[in-house]
Amino acid sequence: MKYEMVAGFETHVELSTNTKIFCSCTTQFGGEPNTHCCPVCIGLPGTLPKLNKRVVEYAIKAGLATNCEIAEISKMDRKNYCYPDLPKAYQISQFDKPLCEHGYIPLSNGRKIRLTRIHIEEDAGKLVHSRGNTLVDYNRGGVPLIEIVSEPDIRSIDEAREYVEKLQLIMRYIGVSDCKMQEGSMRCDVNISVRPVGSERLGTRTEIKNMNSITFIAKAMEYEFNRQVDLLESGEKVVQETLRYDDVTNTTSSMRGKEDANDYRYFRDPDLVTINVPRERVEEIKKTLPELPIAKQQRYIDELGLPETDAALLTKYRKIAEFYEKAIEGTKNPKTAANFIIGQIFSSLENESEKEQFNIKITPEALSELIKLIDSGKIRMNLAKSTLDKMLETGKKPSELLSDSDLAGLDENTFNELCQKAVESNPGAVADYKNGKQKAVKALVGFVMKNSRGKADALKAEKKIIEIIG
Amino acid sequence: MNKSKIASLHDMLQNKEISCAELTEKYIEAIDRDNGSLNAYVTVTPETAMESAKTVDKKIADGKEIGLLEGIPMTLKDNISTDGIKTTCCSKILEDYVPIYDATVWDILKKQNAVLLGKTNMDEFAMGSSCETSYFGGAKNPHSLSHVAGGSSGGVASAVGGNIAVYGLGSDTGGSIRQPASFCGIVGLKPTYGAVSRYGLIAYASSFDQIGPITTSVEDAAAVFDAISLHDERDSTSQGRRGAPVCSTLKDGVKGTKIGIAKEYLESLRDDVKKAVLDAAEVYKSLGAEIVYFDLPALKFALPVYYILACAEASSNLGRYDGIRYGFKADNYLNVNDMIKKTRSQGFGEEVKKRILLGTYVLSSGYYDAYYKKAQNLRGTIVNAFKDAFTKCDVILAPTVPMTAFENGHAADDPIETYMTDICTVPVNIAGLPAVSLPCGADDKGLPIGMQLIGNTFDESAILRAAYSYENATDMYRTADFGVRP
Amino acid sequence: MVSKEEIMKIAILSKLFVADDEIDSLTEDMDKIIQFADTINNAGAEGDDFDNINNLSNVLREDEVVESYDREKILSNAKDQDEGCFMVKNIMK
Repeated sequence: MKYEMVAGFETHVELSTNTKIFCSCTTQFGGEPNTHCCPVCIGLPGTLPKLNKRVVEYAIKAGLATNCEIAEISKMDRKNYCYPDLPKAYQISQFDKPLCEHGYIPLSNGRKIRLTRIHIEEDAGKLVHSRGNTLVDYNRGGVPLIEIVSEPDIRSIDEAREYVEKLQLIMRYIGVSDCKMQEGSMRCDVNISVRPVGSERLGTRTEIKNMNSITFIAKAMEYEFNRQVDLLESGEKVVQETLRYDDVTNTTSSMRGKEDANDYRYFRDPDLVTINVPRERVEEIKKTLPELPIAKQQRYIDELGLPETDAALLTKYRKIAEFYEKAIEGTKNPKTAANFIIGQIFSSLENESEKEQFNIKITPEALSELIKLIDSGKIRMNLAKSTLDKMLETGKKPSELLSDSDLAGLDENTFNELCQKAVESNPGAVADYKNGKQKAVKALVGFVMKNSRGKADALKAEKKIIEIIG
Repeated sequence: MNKSKIASLHDMLQNKEISCAELTEKYIEAIDRDNGSLNAYVTVTPETAMESAKTVDKKIADGKEIGLLEGIPMTLKDNISTDGIKTTCCSKILEDYVPIYDATVWDILKKQNAVLLGKTNMDEFAMGSSCETSYFGGAKNPHSLSHVAGGSSGGVASAVGGNIAVYGLGSDTGGSIRQPASFCGIVGLKPTYGAVSRYGLIAYASSFDQIGPITTSVEDAAAVFDAISLHDERDSTSQGRRGAPVCSTLKDGVKGTKIGIAKEYLESLRDDVKKAVLDAAEVYKSLGAEIVYFDLPALKFALPVYYILACAEASSNLGRYDGIRYGFKADNYLNVNDMIKKTRSQGFGEEVKKRILLGTYVLSSGYYDAYYKKAQNLRGTIVNAFKDAFTKCDVILAPTVPMTAFENGHAADDPIETYMTDICTVPVNIAGLPAVSLPCGADDKGLPIGMQLIGNTFDESAILRAAYSYENATDMYRTADFGVRP
Repeated sequence: MVSKEEIMKIAILSKLFVADDEIDSLTEDMDKIIQFADTINNAGAEGDDFDNINNLSNVLREDEVVESYDREKILSNAKDQDEGCFMVKNIMK
């Protein structure tokens, strides 16, 4: 029998606010243990939470960017469970009135992954085991998170990968999170079950917790899919449980014992008040959203005439797209700038992270200047390329690198003289050509190009030389 | 006779009839002498007190005007956080806990150079009606040492009634300011929910808790309330006082005021208590108030609603006591989970554990709808019933407690019988209303009887005005016969 | 009638131990308390909607950093600490 995968994601994304969700401590990553803490975020008796305005705003942004409906009235609830990394023994989260609901992420294959909800909550601290002792650091405790919950709409590992990448891309684009999986600012729980292809019924699912790399997610899902299929094939049943993925052995294993059977006893947090989101506020926030990557990519294809792959590469990171759009301002051919970025500029960057940062020495205005010189015929492509290399190296503008004579163009007389000189000083090549070696003319053209410092038009030069040789 | 102890002490200080250091020393001596029998204080802070006193004396010596509360020796219930001073909630689990920040109310008073004499006794985590669930033993009633001071703010009431503090701040979740004030024959004000910041008050039940003053007179209660009822950025539920300081309208009288009496408040009372309350109604009539009678059937379910909701919140609020960050930590454990369980099992007293268990039960899956949700809906019904009542009257008159102070160790064995003593006080907390308790008589043993005046939300001025009028018209104002009387 | 098993279950959720010699009297007490709580179900009507006691909304804080506390203070009430962290010692070593 052929089986298909049915998976849903719960993705935790740390918001890039300055301060924690309920107190004014910094959210900065790292720092000595317990140095980003105050009475509120270590849960001292008597302290009270106060909600960070920007958390609400960012969550609404995330909701709007993922096609969600934004709740008019929302509230905070307590999720009660006792664990040393949770200083109040409850996590302030949202239960039945999340800020955002009913969204979706479109995939490139045309399918839509529906989002059930996006809610805000606080992160827990960190446990470290050292010499058998348990150490607790609350620096991360209280850092704002959004939890993005999808419907079980994912059918393959490729879809899963694309879903996570798209989420990451969108959250970065709208500036609510850096989504650094290796630093834990984006973490995924995956619910996964299998069923015979064609069946509508959902199988028993397992949940793989807390994965922070797309590679691991793909491996864990593959392992878990195969494990569940094997169970069903051998007539056994899948047990509903929470699993941990071990990236060393590439296996999943059960996380919880019976003792910890959870019952979160959600109830409204009496220390916090109602969150009211007037529709005008939603409109205001909507206006602050940048054009999202998916829409941008389509526009590059439709309006700028770029090939799909180029459009995808240019929209992958917001900084690149912004650079590109500034660089093509006032230029005639948007493809030229695209080629420069994807070609020469990308090859000067080591990896994806550098591409994302896009810390290059030149400004989009400088690139624009270069392209305008090409557009106006003042310089030719090979000179432009070598100039761009120098620009990337030195950060100088084309006007600082090109001399007056570079930009002066080539007048008719000088051109004719150069062609004449080429013929005169290369009798060998002339003889070869006359003996029927058509290719010999290339050497003569090369002479003209070299001595005009690239300014001559090669085709024109060839024509002229043949004319001189007669 | 000036009934305001704070005002008369203030005048004496300002006029240099006594220095603040002398006054403070007198109170410290009185604590040394009487606290052994009253057990009102669990921590005494003479150094902090003398330090503030000296600051005040310097100010007076420099010829400066001092504020009304400046230099007045006072106390805080031991669930109000004080930076650098132990705050135990009278629980073993916080026996040696020293806060690193000040509660907002203490922050306010400290800046006004209030003289903190120490922290006072209470039922463990404010859960009790006799102060006897305190890890340090109960506080005694200054009128009779063989009787309890009441609870949970028993220590404050004992100290103020016994005049080993001029005034104090308590907290009231289901009657914890009013009931001990009633038992000790003094005045206790439970403000509107949100009028006084809860920041730094160690939570019992967050949507019920409210800090308020315990004083010997209505005027003093008004003065302290005016000082502490400020909006606080740190407490999202804080709103501060609405309108002018209550002191400004305190003496405006009750002519034309409609005082309501709800039948339900007069059920199952001891006869002498009922008579004292009805007599008070007569006093109001004689002062020109109008008495209106109505029913408040919604009150029938107030007590179970209170216990369900308060315990639900408590079960969550008290989850944090795990031995890791502060407080008692058990030794001899197997692992982290075992350590947490042992810490909690050994650190909490019986009453606290019972309320945690009840709270966990009513929130757990399968029971949430039948208990928590249902009680929440009935809370709505009670809120609306009071709203409706305040269309008929300005102030509601009711007994504070159906009886007078119990004998020590006599709090009922049966848990429900004990809870029943809160029947008159909890409705106010359920609805978030302000109420003041003041003495209105005594039983045949001479133990005080208290009555309460309940107001509409943020209408502290109406209840305090009515309370002041009564106090002024009768000779119920009293303080205990021992302790200093400068 | 609440059972011993139910009491044990909520004790686990509450992170409390109930000693063998306590369970009977505790169950008895809890049964009384829960029966008392049950009386709310005699209230005929479903009751009114209740939002929350303060009727406030949108009490929010600006996203501005305030310096955190000194670690020494943060850890000052901890029974055990190591490497700047709160610590639960492994006493089985």
